[in-house]
Amino acid sequence: MLTFRKILFNLMAWSIVLAVAFPLFWMLVTSVKPGFELFRRPPTILPETWTFEHYWKLLSETNFLIYFRNSIILSSATTLVVVAVATLGAFSLVRFKYRGRESLAFLVLFTYLLPSVVLIIPLYLLLVGLGVSNTIFSLVIAYTTFALPYALWLLRSFMAGIPEDLESAALCDGATRMGAFRDVILPQLLPGIISTALFTFILSWNEYLYALVLVNSDSSRPLTTGVMNMLISSFNIEWSLLMAASVMMSVPLIIVFAFLQSYLTRGFGAGGVKG
Amino acid sequence: MAEVVFSKVQKKFGAFTAVHGLDLSIAEGEFVSLLGPSGCGKTTTLRMLAGLEFPSSGDIQIGDRVVNDLAPGQRDIAMVFQSYALYPHLTVGDNIGYPLKKRGVGKAERLAAVAKTAELLQLTELLKRKPRQLSGGQQQRVALGRALVRDPQVFLLDEPLSNLDAKLRGYMRVELVELHRRLGRTMVYVTHDQLEAMTMSDRIAVMEGGKLQQFAPPAQVYAEPANRFVASFIGTPGMTLIDGDLSQTGGVWTFNAPGLSMPVGPLTDEATAGPACLGVRPEHVSIGTGPVQGVIQVVEKTGHENIVIIGLEGGHRLTGRVPAPQSWSIGESVQLTLEAEHAHIFGAGPHGARLNRPHETAPLKTKHNPDKTKPKLQKAANE
Ligand SMILES: Nc1ncnc2c1ncn2[C@@H]1O[C@H](COP(=O)(O)OP(=O)(O)O)[C@@H](O)[C@H]1O
Ligand SMILES: [Mg+2]
Repeated sequence: MLTFRKILFNLMAWSIVLAVAFPLFWMLVTSVKPGFELFRRPPTILPETWTFEHYWKLLSETNFLIYFRNSIILSSATTLVVVAVATLGAFSLVRFKYRGRESLAFLVLFTYLLPSVVLIIPLYLLLVGLGVSNTIFSLVIAYTTFALPYALWLLRSFMAGIPEDLESAALCDGATRMGAFRDVILPQLLPGIISTALFTFILSWNEYLYALVLVNSDSSRPLTTGVMNMLISSFNIEWSLLMAASVMMSVPLIIVFAFLQSYLTRGFGAGGVKG
Repeated sequence: MAEVVFSKVQKKFGAFTAVHGLDLSIAEGEFVSLLGPSGCGKTTTLRMLAGLEFPSSGDIQIGDRVVNDLAPGQRDIAMVFQSYALYPHLTVGDNIGYPLKKRGVGKAERLAAVAKTAELLQLTELLKRKPRQLSGGQQQRVALGRALVRDPQVFLLDEPLSNLDAKLRGYMRVELVELHRRLGRTMVYVTHDQLEAMTMSDRIAVMEGGKLQQFAPPAQVYAEPANRFVASFIGTPGMTLIDGDLSQTGGVWTFNAPGLSMPVGPLTDEATAGPACLGVRPEHVSIGTGPVQGVIQVVEKTGHENIVIIGLEGGHRLTGRVPAPQSWSIGESVQLTLEAEHAHIFGAGPHGARLNRPHETAPLKTKHNPDKTKPKLQKAANE
């Protein structure tokens, strides 16, 4: 009975893993198959001939590298801005007592609940008004509007888990408010900051809608819209190139995850647990 | 080293008043405990002194400075928190050295000071560890070390021993008293444990409901509790309190309650005939002969003495304390004497003031002698 349940459990777990992993596997495989092998029936699971020509073509003949650079700049800048503002904002929401503190927090969350489609036109007009439309900078602002509320709430709960006495102790020990924040709060908040940064980075890296509407020059397009624009037209989809691009788009996320994974899991556990 | 003065200090949290018009004057070098039940405003008072909360009104003075508008770091105080509040990401050494670092002390000097403090508190072997690798008692000593590494004017301690086990607590009590004697610094010690307050303090400030109830040396708080609350709060087992009536015939006061009638000592001019409360400490009850009838209800044997709870005819219960060889069986009828010269009379109500005329003759032995600060002052001036 017990073993039967165990087997059933394993079966279910593995089928979920397979369902998630198979598209990734197919993406990888397709990107290294030569074009003529692509539509063969029955399909080959592993390529008969391996080729990296699609990668080479993407890197040497297209704007891929420009888009890649744009995406890196865009996601990093957004992450930096969002984490910096959210950390200070969360500190204020948790530690300072002022009228409307709670309402403010909920108001911020409320903006997050509005669908992007509703916000995008006003945002576009605003950015045009500011004279920054069609730049990476405009996307940083746009991304900040949707990533910040989320980040603020995440960091607020992390911040609430840090005992207030720590800060009081630092103040008694002669630190200024900012000094106590830097010396005591920030190190405690690090797992929270890293998880928040990671989420923000991923959100920005994968964002499509804002990038599509707000930017239409090759010099400032990020990967998502850039690759779509370059490889998918009404008449044709460059499957091999698309898959190669997808693989390369995933690499930065995989690297970041691999490095920060231990922090991330620690981060998920924080908040509730003290000490 | 400095005196600490609270003048009419009030603290409100919204509509709730946590501390009501507190007047408290702590002498230089004195060890003062703020004692009271949980929620009575002890921590709030201490945090106001530290500069972590600001009074809604009134003044706080440390030495000759009014510190109302000074940040904690500018007040020259050090505080030990109940939770210890050690910085988890720093080593023990860095924790202890942090206050010096924040005051711009150079690295070499800092390390020397940390080493000296660690030596004093037997932490030398632990300097490289992180706080979470320490036991509760060790963490407590690190917290103490962080306060001691500087030489602040006033030490503030918020229930520093309450997270330790009983044995360690007893040990640390002695250590702290010793430390105070050696440093001669003003210490303000918050506790809800009367044993700590009684054994360590020069004077105890008993608080309840945000109000100061009595500020006096331990012996006086015990022998002459200012009101019924203090009487009931201090002493284990507690003082027996019996509600009844006070009457006066020919200049002699008599206290009457069902099953009990006894003359009481000279009272102050505030005493009036009518409802009042009699207080008798367990050690002032003698069992054997006497005018009061009672039935033994409970006998608690603690080893060297027995605590006896006796039911009186009127339904009141009385606690007595007798040497161990004397014991009674439950249900036994006994005769009692309540020592009238040690009986307390309080006005009606939970905070009824003590109405006994103070003893003129029996001077109370106290540890704290305000005069002893004077030579120290001179010494400080000479240095
Ligand atoms: N920051 C605060 N906001 C609102 N009420 C508070 C705050 N701090 C303390 N209090 C209230 O003030 C009273 C006294 O608290 P405290 O000084 O911590 O008591 P104690 O240390 O004597 O146990 C309590 O009733 C507590 O709920
Ligand atoms: Mg407290």
